[in-house]
Amino acid sequence: VDVLVQIVASGLTLGAMYAVSTVGLALVYGSLNMLNMSHGALLALGGYVCFYVMTALGLPAIAGVAAAMIICGLAGLAIYHIAARPMLPSRNFETQIFIATIGIGTVLENFILRVFGPQPVAQPLNLKGALVIGGVHIPNQNILIMAVAVAMMVAIAFLLNRTRTGRAIRATAQNRDAAQLMGIRIGRVYAKVLALSGALAALSGIMISSLSGLLPNMGGDPMLKAFVICVVAGLGNVFGAVSAAFVLGLLEAIIQYLLGVQYSFAILLLIVIAVLIWRPYGLFGKQQVVRL
Amino acid sequence: VTVAKRDIFLCFALTAATALVPLVTGTRYIITQMTLFFIWTMVVTQWNLVLGVAGIFSLAQMALFAAGAYATAMLGYYFAVPMILAMPAAALAAVFVSVVIGLACLRLRGPYVALLTLAIAQVIYLIVVNDTECFTNPPSGCMPLFGGVRGFSRFGDLGFRSLLGSKWYIAHFYVGLAMLMLATLFSIAIIRGPLGLAFQALRDNPGYAMSRGISKFKYQLWVFGLSAFFTGLAGALYAVQFGVVGPIVFSLATLLFLLSMIVVGGMGTVWGPLLGAAVLMLADEGMREIGDWRDIGLGLILVLFVVLLPKGLAGLRLTQVSAKRGE
Repeated sequence: VDVLVQIVASGLTLGAMYAVSTVGLALVYGSLNMLNMSHGALLALGGYVCFYVMTALGLPAIAGVAAAMIICGLAGLAIYHIAARPMLPSRNFETQIFIATIGIGTVLENFILRVFGPQPVAQPLNLKGALVIGGVHIPNQNILIMAVAVAMMVAIAFLLNRTRTGRAIRATAQNRDAAQLMGIRIGRVYAKVLALSGALAALSGIMISSLSGLLPNMGGDPMLKAFVICVVAGLGNVFGAVSAAFVLGLLEAIIQYLLGVQYSFAILLLIVIAVLIWRPYGLFGKQQVVRL
Repeated sequence: VTVAKRDIFLCFALTAATALVPLVTGTRYIITQMTLFFIWTMVVTQWNLVLGVAGIFSLAQMALFAAGAYATAMLGYYFAVPMILAMPAAALAAVFVSVVIGLACLRLRGPYVALLTLAIAQVIYLIVVNDTECFTNPPSGCMPLFGGVRGFSRFGDLGFRSLLGSKWYIAHFYVGLAMLMLATLFSIAIIRGPLGLAFQALRDNPGYAMSRGISKFKYQLWVFGLSAFFTGLAGALYAVQFGVVGPIVFSLATLLFLLSMIVVGGMGTVWGPLLGAAVLMLADEGMREIGDWRDIGLGLILVLFVVLLPKGLAGLRLTQVSAKRGE
C-alpha cells in the first residue's frame, strides 16, 4: 500500500506541474493555431525572476511569484506584438510562427544564460517538512504544488466559462471569422491569451524549479512534455489537456517505479507515438473531417 | 533553355568553380570549413524537399543525419566494414528509418507532424544517451551498443590519411563536393520533375489533383524515403571527416542552425537552401568574434527573416523579377 500511495502522490505532483504548463499551450493553440516553442524559455524566465526577486532583492515569496507572472505575461504580450501579429494574415502562419518562436526561445534562453550563468541554482521558494501517511513521506512542497495547480485550474475554468473575456476566447477559438463578425476584437483576445499563457508559464516554471533547481535550459524537457500532452489530448483542447496531464503524470510515476527513471520519458513518448498513429487527432480531439 | 536545364548548368558551373578553391588556397581551416559547408548543404537541400516542396513540417532530418553517421560508425566499429561500403549502406539505413517515420506521420497534419518528429528524434537521443549497459568491453572501457554519451571513434576512414599523409583533408573536400553535386542534381530532379509537379498540384488544388489520381500518401512516402538517402550520406561523410560520432549530432542548436539556413535562403526553392547555408556559415564565422552571443544572433536572424522576409533571400529576387514583369 505504501508503494501505491507513493506512486500516486508523485504521479499527481507530476501531473499537476504538467497541467499548469500545458493549459497555457493549449489555450494559445486553441485560439491562435500557434505552437509556442518559446514556452520553455518562458518557464525558465519565470523561475529566474522569482529567484532574483527573492534572493537579490530579499522580498517575500509572494512578491517573487507575482513579479515572475507579470514579467512573463509581458513577455507573452511582446511575442504577440513582435511575431504573431505581423504574421497572422499569412497563409503559412502555423509553420512560420513555429519557426519564429523557436528563434525567440533561443534568444531568451541564451539571454538568461548570459545574465545568470550556467551553474544550477536552487529555487528559494521551497517549503520544508512533509506530510506522513502511513509509512510514506509526502513533502509539503508537493502538496503546495498540487494545491496551486488545482486553484489555477479552477480559476482558468471560471475565466473561460463565466466571464466575458472567457466567452470571447472560446468564440475566437471556435471560429475566428464568425467571432470577428460578432464584434469581438480578436487582436485583443490573442494578446490576452498570450499574456495569460506567459503568466501560467512563470507559475509552472517556479513549481518545476522548486523541485529540480534552476538552469537556463530547464524549460526544454517540460515544454516537450507539455506539447506531448497537448497532442495526446488533441491540440487546443484545454480540459482534455488537464486530464491527459494527470494521466501521463501517473503513468510516468508508474514507469519510473517499474523500469527506472532513465527510460520514463522515452517510453512515454513511444506511447504517445502509438496513440497518434491510432488516433491522429488526439484522444479527446474531435475528428476533423478532412476529405482531401 | 528550360528552367531545369538552366539549374543543371548552374549546378555544374558552381561545382567546377568550387573545385578550383584548393588550388588557390591551401589553408587547412578554409578547406575543412568548406567540407563542413558541403555536409550541411546536403542536409538542407534534402530537408528542403520535405519541408518546402512537399510542405510536410518534419523536424526528423537531424535524426536521419544521425542515423547515417551512427550506422557508418557502427558498421566500421563492430564489423570493420570498409568506409567506402559503410557509407552507402548507412545512407540506405537512413532511408529505412525515414520511411518508418514517414509511415508514422502519414495521417497527421501540420504541427502534429512537427511535434511527432521532434518527439521521435528526442526518443532516439534519450535511448542513445541513457543506455549504459556494456555491449562489448574493449580495453578502452565499456562500450554500450550505441556508444552511450562518449559515442564512437576509431572506426576507420576512407584511406586518404595513409594515401596522402597530411593532405588528406583535400581529398575529403572533393568527396564532399562530388556528393553535394549529386545531392543538388537530385533535388533539381525532384523539384522540376514529376514529384515536384505532383506536390505543386496537391498544394494548388488538392481536390482536382487527387481526382486525377495523385495520391498524397504515396508521394509523401516517396519524398520521405528519397530525401533521406543524401541526408544519411551527409551523416556518413560527417562521421569519416571528423572520425568521431557522438550524441552531439542530435543537438537542438544544430537543428536550429540548419532550419535557419532554409528559412534565410527560401523554403521550397532550388537554390535557396544553398544560398542560406552559405550566408549562415559566413555569418557564423563572423560571429565567432563575439563568441557567447552567437546563439542570440542566430535566433535574431531567424526571427527577423520569418517576420520580415518569409520567402527568404531567394524570394526577394523572385519578387523583384515578377514585379518588373508586371510593369
